[in-house]
Order: sequence, then structure tokens, then C-alpha cells
Amino acid sequence: MCRVWIYVFVVCYLYMPTWVCAQKFDVMKLLPEKFDNYQVSNWLDYEGEALFDYINGGAELYLSYGLVGMTGCKYNGDGLPQVTVEIYEMTSPANAFGVYTQSRDKEEYEYGQGSLSGSDFLLFWKDKYYVIITAGKVLPESGKAIRRIASLIDKAIPEKSRIPAIVDALPKENLVPGGYLYFHHYIWLNAYLFIANYNLVNISDKTDAVLAKYGDADNRCYLLMVDYTDTTAAITAWKQLKKEFAPDATGERPKLRLEDGTWFTTWMLGKRLCAIFDAKSINQIDNLYNLIITSKY
Amino acid sequence: MENISRRELLKRTAMMAAGGALFLNRPINTWAMESEAASKVVLIRNQKLYAGGDTPDPAVCEQMIDEAVCRLTGLDTPKDAWASIIKPTDIVGIKTNQWNGLPTPSCVNDTLKARVLGVGVTEDKVSVDDRGVKRNPVFQQATALINTRPMRTHAWSGVGTLLKNYIMFAEKPSDYHEDSCAVLGSLQELPIVKGKTRLHLLVMFTPQFHHVAPSKFAEEYSWKYGGLLVGFDPVAVDSVGLRIIEAKRREYFNEDRPLNPPAKHIAVADTRYHLGTSDPSKIELIKLGWDENSYV
Repeated sequence: MCRVWIYVFVVCYLYMPTWVCAQKFDVMKLLPEKFDNYQVSNWLDYEGEALFDYINGGAELYLSYGLVGMTGCKYNGDGLPQVTVEIYEMTSPANAFGVYTQSRDKEEYEYGQGSLSGSDFLLFWKDKYYVIITAGKVLPESGKAIRRIASLIDKAIPEKSRIPAIVDALPKENLVPGGYLYFHHYIWLNAYLFIANYNLVNISDKTDAVLAKYGDADNRCYLLMVDYTDTTAAITAWKQLKKEFAPDATGERPKLRLEDGTWFTTWMLGKRLCAIFDAKSINQIDNLYNLIITSKY
Repeated sequence: MENISRRELLKRTAMMAAGGALFLNRPINTWAMESEAASKVVLIRNQKLYAGGDTPDPAVCEQMIDEAVCRLTGLDTPKDAWASIIKPTDIVGIKTNQWNGLPTPSCVNDTLKARVLGVGVTEDKVSVDDRGVKRNPVFQQATALINTRPMRTHAWSGVGTLLKNYIMFAEKPSDYHEDSCAVLGSLQELPIVKGKTRLHLLVMFTPQFHHVAPSKFAEEYSWKYGGLLVGFDPVAVDSVGLRIIEAKRREYFNEDRPLNPPAKHIAVADTRYHLGTSDPSKIELIKLGWDENSYV
């Protein structure tokens, strides 16, 4: 028996480096060594917290979504602006999507499963990868090179994934384009408006949360939905929210006008907590509520 | 720092009467409600800073620093003003910021070093450094520090601030990342910096008010503000800088767009670490020079 275990250990030990290399290779093979007049000048490779060495505290954004590692490279070409590619491999497609929702403020679908581009950058997500491509200088050639390498990487990622179910549950009517955030770290609870300076609704890596903007700027309200692992956890969070925002209200869906004249409501849907903040009228929260409860998700 | 929700804040704001909605959109006020002392902050701006193109004019930069320091100290000449800040016997570390996207401009580093030398500090006893400060003999023996960096939005701390600039003095910077870097104020307790900082300069030449990727300077989300904030209180200076960033975001996006995440560490530096004041009503803001679109 002991020999068997020794054999298993030796086999695992011998093959582990190969397995690790294979994992790295999977991401690196998304990056061509050459394209057009560009060639890789140096590679980037960071795992977990080693990403601090590359982007300091900015790495926490990715770590809060479950980062496996970042692989990338810098491309140089004669007389051409340098192009940098960073491919963030996340623990799940949902997390790659979540990081994407942090960056984009409008919806574009030219690359991957959602993208955003500017004069010197392009980012997109696809499957469990979040890709950022940037150029050293804003030149006409920069945009062309960025789009070219984005297209190559997009094609090299074979799979597409579904977006998290909780995002499907967002009513589309009056939803601000690109105006929602998927997350599971409480830091992002205040992304669109101040809700609390602490983890009021127990958001964690075991919860799925989405915060969305509805209506135009003058008629804006915000919908928070959080899915918990079980009903007990959801009820606990809902009670905390209700105690803080509507301590005297009764019923399963208290609606009340707050001190600034805006309307608030919160309710439960199975393991899901829902809340609407900053609504400008009682009709606004009722309309949004009706859309949610009649949703198939 | 106490736990505060939107509802609790609304109740308090209602009690304070006017300005409720605006108040809510200022996370800095959300996190800080207990500051006491007034602090002087000088904002100087010059439209000619970028008259020659994309590089700040060194002569204008020098003039801005000198004028701001004179006004801050209440002394008439730069020589006297600097002599009131640095002694000839000091060993001076100028903590700069080398982030490649938006570093402290060289004209700021050069002017600060020149003024320190002008006081009588010898060349071997002054150093400008960022990532190497822990290994730098001048910083290791420093009796005085000058803290300078540009302001920009940051993916985890809300904004890159003077308070955050000292993270390179930490043994392990990531130890200060928890709760969106709320504890950055505690860096001031590190023996290598404690009680040594004589002056804070927050560079607002081309601040970055939004970003799409943590690793990349977002040129399209920066603008030539041509400003410099100078003070003795890093919390006050950072909070004025933050107000400028927030105002620019409101103007650009045409709606309230809070920083994500909020810059909690500025107010926590006030309420928990008592390093200064983040409350705008307790900051004496002195504005010099170009005033158009100053946002504060």
C-alpha cells in the first residue's frame, strides 16, 4: 500500500510542472508572437497577488473577482506605437463579466461578449477572460493595431459563456445602457450611489449581486438584487436592510418616502433580496417591482 | 468610524436642513463627520502652464510652487518661506510618484530639490525617490519629508492621494489594501515617516478623473487643470483635490457619478487617525491665479 502512495506521489510530482505549464500555455497561445508589423518584445505573467508588482493596488479590482493570473505581452514595431495586451484569467466567466461591468459605461459588442473602445484602448470579455489592449500613443496606427490584435485574440478564445442569471433578471425597460454592475464584494455596493459604508446586506463571494440604474438622469432610480445561497441568509440580509431603512414599516414589501423625498422599497423573492433606492415617485418603484416579479428569472 | 447607511445619513442631513441630496453625493462627507481643526490649503492655477504644448513650462511651475508656499507660510519671499519649512541641517526625502502613466512632473521634483538646496541642505542630504525609498539611505536617515504626487482615480482606493503616496514606505503595501485602502492613514505611524513630513503638494496639472483600466493612464479622462494644491495637512489637501475630481466627473458625465469605490481612506485618515480634516467647512481654501472652471 505504501508503495502505491509513493508511486502516486512521484507521478504527481513529475507531472505537476507540465500541468502548470499547460495551464500557462493555454493563455499564452491566445497571443500571437507576430501580427502585421508587430512582434512581441516582452511577455507579462503574474499570478494572484503577484499582480501587485505590475499594477500595485489596482490589482485588488481583479482579486475581488477571483483572479487566476494575468498573462500578456508588449508588441513593438518599427516606427509604430507600442501595444500592450493584458489577458486576465478569472476563476469563472461570471467573474470576467463582472470585471467588464466595472469598466464599461456603454454597451458595445464588436469584440468578445462585450467590449469598450477608446482612442488608445480596447477591452472585452469572453468566457473566463477579460482582455485589455492599450497603445502607448494616440495615433491612427494605434487604433488599427488595437483592433487587429483584439480580433485575433477574440477568435482564439473558442468558447462563449452565459452571463450570470441574476443579470438576466434585470428588467430591460428603462435600464440605462451599460448601467449595471455585477459583483460579489461589498466594496462595490456604493458604486452608483451611497448605500452604506459597511457590508449592510452581507455580500460575499458566495453571493451574486447586481446594481443597476434605471431612468434618465433626472428620473434615476437604482435597483439592487442579491442572490444568497439559501433563504435563511437572504432573510437575514433583508431584515438588516429593512431595519436600517424602514425600521417601523410592516409587511413584506415596505414602501416609504425618505427624508430627501425619494422612495425606497425592499422585498424578497425566494433566495433573492431586491431593493429600489432613490425612486422619484411611488409609481416608479411599483412599475419596476411589477416588471421584476413577472420576470421569468 | 461608525457604520452609516443612506437612511441614517438622510436623517442627519434632514436635521441639518438644506443641501441633502448634494450631501449624499459626496462620499467624503459620508465617511467623515467628526473633524475639528481648520486647515489652510492653497490652490494655485496658471493657464500658461501648458502654453508651450503638452509639457508643463518649468518656469511657470517654479513660480506656482514659490507663490503657493509663500502664501501658505505667510512669508514674503520663497527663500524665507522655504527656510521656515526646512532647516539647513535637515536630511530631506522628497517622496515623489513615478507611475508611468501620470508621474509627478519633473519640474515639480526639480523645483522642490532646488528649494531644499537653496535653504542650505547639501546635495548628499536630499533625494527624490518613489519605489526605492525603503532602501534609500537619505530616506532611511531623513529628518524631513516632502510629499508630492499627481491626483488620479484609482481602481481600489477611489483616488490616488498624498495619503496613498506613502504606501511605498510599507514593508508589504498590500497589507493596506483592505476595505478599499481605508487604513492608508496608518502609514503615517511608520517610524520611517512619523512626524517628518513638512509639506504636501498635490499636483493637479492634468488630473485623471476616470479610468477604464488600472494599468493605463486614461488620457481622454484627464484635462489640463493647471493647478497645484499645497498645504501642511494631507487630509485637507487630498479632500480638496477629491472635490475637484468629483466636480469634473459630474460635469463630464452630466450626472452624479460617485467614485467607484469611494475614497474612504481620506475621511478615515481624519476620523480614525486624526491626521487632519476632510470636512470642507473646516478647510480654509486660498485660491490664487486662474479661476475659470476651478470647481471649488
